[in-house]
Amino acid sequence: MKNFQIRSKIVNGVAVLYLKGHLDAHQVARFEKEIVRLIRDSNFRIVINGQELNYITSAGMGIIMGYIDEVREKGGDIKLCSLAERVYETFDLVGFTEIYDFVADEQAAIAKFSHVPPHS
Amino acid sequence: MFPPIPDFSITILSQTQLLKMVVELTRHITTLFNFSAPEAQKISLAIDEAVTNVIKHSYANASDQQITIEYFLAPGGIKIRIFYRGLPPEIADEEVNIGKMIKKKKKGGLGVKLMKTIMDSVVYKTVDGKNCCEMIKWQKTI
Repeated sequence: MKNFQIRSKIVNGVAVLYLKGHLDAHQVARFEKEIVRLIRDSNFRIVINGQELNYITSAGMGIIMGYIDEVREKGGDIKLCSLAERVYETFDLVGFTEIYDFVADEQAAIAKFSHVPPHS
Repeated sequence: MFPPIPDFSITILSQTQLLKMVVELTRHITTLFNFSAPEAQKISLAIDEAVTNVIKHSYANASDQQITIEYFLAPGGIKIRIFYRGLPPEIADEEVNIGKMIKKKKKGGLGVKLMKTIMDSVVYKTVDGKNCCEMIKWQKTI
């Protein structure tokens, strides 16, 4: 089984990224590639569903930090949902929980975009 | 109070594919010595960040260099030393400002903040002519 898996789908005009497994510096290029692809395709409303993510390092969090301003400039956002407690705690250790939008579940995260047009 | 000789040590090549093994090993050692599971998870993350910094910055992603990790155990605490050659990482003295980093679209710079937040002590120094990142964590007393 692969250490880290990533897949995405569009739900109601929102790009949902599903992260699974162990996201560290070795795997981070795949995560960045997918974020870049979404932005290049004008998907600025992004939800990261971390329900099956069991580990993240600063490498993975840095990708979100590096692209969120660009996404917000285009009228979108990157929201995170369904994180396991220990993964949420890692985001909290660097102060991300005060800056980013963490939502309990995917449906609620997608609903938060309901007032934003898909391609701002 | 820490022993002069490490209780356990491992030398690995500077390859990011080995990070997960280091994380699992550190988690195992810290759990074995009575750190709680959440604390063991955090200490393992700090070691992951330190080794990643060495691979990325000190060795510029060269995969044929060596990194030695030493674990020293004492009652109520653990000291971990990471030895490497190459350049020591640039450690900013000022507090990391996430808002500014977002505006600058920075992707790096969070690792040392994580290490310092998790561990009780993080020191970069030279030991016996080798670069060393030394981290100490004490168990929480209830």
